[in-house]
Amino acid sequence: MSLFCGSVKIIDNVEIAPGIFRMGLECPEAAESASPGQFLQIRCFEGLAPLLRRPISIAAADKDSGMIEIIYRVVGEGTGILARKTKKDMLDIMGPLGKGFPVPRGLRRPVIVGGGIGVAPLLFLAKSLKENSSRDSYGRESDFCGLAFVGFSSGEEVFGMQFLEDCCFNVEICTDDGSEGHKGFPTDLLEEYLKHIMPIPASNRENAKSAGDSECTSASSAILPEAVYACGPEPLLKKVKQIASMTKIPTYISVEQRMACGVGACLGCAVKSSGGGYLRACRDGPVFEAHQLIL
Amino acid sequence: MDDRFFEREYNPYESDASLMESKSRHADFADISVNICGIAMKNPVMAASGTFGFGEEYAGLYDISRLGAVVTKGLTLERRCGNPPPRIYETPAGILNSIGLENPGVEGFIRWEWPRLCRSGIPVIANIDGDNANDYYRMARRLSELDGLAAIEANISCPNVEKGGMAFGQHPESAYEAIKAVREGTNLPVIAKLSPNVTDIRQIAEAAVNAGADAISLINTLQGMAIDIHKKKPVFHRTFAGLSGPAVKPVALRMVWEVFEAVRVPIIGMGGIASWQDAVEFMLAGASAVAVGTANFIDPFAPLKIISGLKKYLIGQGIRALNEIIGSAH
Repeated sequence: MSLFCGSVKIIDNVEIAPGIFRMGLECPEAAESASPGQFLQIRCFEGLAPLLRRPISIAAADKDSGMIEIIYRVVGEGTGILARKTKKDMLDIMGPLGKGFPVPRGLRRPVIVGGGIGVAPLLFLAKSLKENSSRDSYGRESDFCGLAFVGFSSGEEVFGMQFLEDCCFNVEICTDDGSEGHKGFPTDLLEEYLKHIMPIPASNRENAKSAGDSECTSASSAILPEAVYACGPEPLLKKVKQIASMTKIPTYISVEQRMACGVGACLGCAVKSSGGGYLRACRDGPVFEAHQLIL
Repeated sequence: MDDRFFEREYNPYESDASLMESKSRHADFADISVNICGIAMKNPVMAASGTFGFGEEYAGLYDISRLGAVVTKGLTLERRCGNPPPRIYETPAGILNSIGLENPGVEGFIRWEWPRLCRSGIPVIANIDGDNANDYYRMARRLSELDGLAAIEANISCPNVEKGGMAFGQHPESAYEAIKAVREGTNLPVIAKLSPNVTDIRQIAEAAVNAGADAISLINTLQGMAIDIHKKKPVFHRTFAGLSGPAVKPVALRMVWEVFEAVRVPIIGMGGIASWQDAVEFMLAGASAVAVGTANFIDPFAPLKIISGLKKYLIGQGIRALNEIIGSAH
């Protein structure tokens, strides 16, 4: 059984930006099986109010040290209590849960798009992409260079950028107020980048896929991104999905929804499926292919 | 036949005074098996409908055959997609939900879920919800063809659907009509699951029993609502939703108490049960078995802790069989 549920020790709980905390947990069971995009269900309070566990995505997991890390924003009562926990306190967690991001071997130009606290799971993803890139499927050394478009409300909120750079990602930052990097949204940068790298008129967009498959280079003679991964607020995901529908690049988005059980039993965290009906964010997701959902 | 070996893995209430006391008592065995209208259960703790899917979701954490029984997610004649999100809203010590009976339909259940469930080694109770009496009849009939299904729980209490559901459970006449239809459709034990959203729960229970119910389940969720103060609109599309969790426990307990005095059939008590102490209260009030719902979300091991806590309580009290305490607070 790869699902863990129980009490684990808090290693540290540090405020890394205003209202944003990074917590390290000692949980070899979860660290062993966790993959990027998966989450933990955390019981912030031992009593009955707040009652529900809080789903928080995994920002790092290390099999060797048995450590697992979360980065969370204080948004309400539950996360408020979580923020006040200290080193050596015990925490009741369940996980890893959900379906994460696919991390194929040998990608060279993955693109990640993150907004605010949505950057947290992308850190874990970036590391896995880098680790899985060292050789492609033919055993050749690759020239891995990821691209990260990340957005925050302001410069003081920015976190994880050094980490992304260490994972060989070129990072471009946006802020809503322009206090750091570009003023605007990371999806603007994604769009601009794709226009630059695949200058294909709308009428020929069908061909974009085959161009990508054969690794033919476009007019700019650059390698096309093999996949786009996104996590962030809904408007960001909507835009990423819209862009994805035009480029045909495989695009994965991680969604957020009010959740109760976290294991797929209660059907509380429904997200609208493009195939009709609903999917469960907790079990069918939280990561979906962009075309699977109606946002 | 008993689960004394399971206690080792969980140390739910080792420091609890009433259990410490137990160490000095003589009894070291208590029979917690129950038989509810022919459903033989090795312990009285069930997973409540809608909180346990079709049993698979929690199977990654423990062997679900350790429970007394599993009640399926509410089934309807045809497959349903359920209500648009949001479907869940947290309240003090409770949850409002408006799932809207998302389910694969009776045929979907039989095809995709039953083959696995019927091998789980545990009594499975199918929860059904109809738009009309004929739906109840047809579902009961179809499900009776399954080899090994333990019972049918007729949900006449879902607050989150357009038709049927709770509407049946709010009047003695319609409750009678729905339960009668189920009764006519099956020879399996019929459990009527009642809504607390009524003036006098006893009248509904009596009507259900008169229609042929072999047992009564109560309570389903209490109708409530929440308003988004920024949008200045109700949180839920259907405005009202169902409240569950520890917040509703005193109401549920009162209703079990009332129904115990009104009818002679066994009662399955539920509504906010989160600890073995809660379960004991329900049994003292008259429940022969209990179902754990919302607590599964908070602590997936809650049903197992309740089973072991119940047993320790009985031993501590020097009581040999669970039956002795059922309704004994009256």
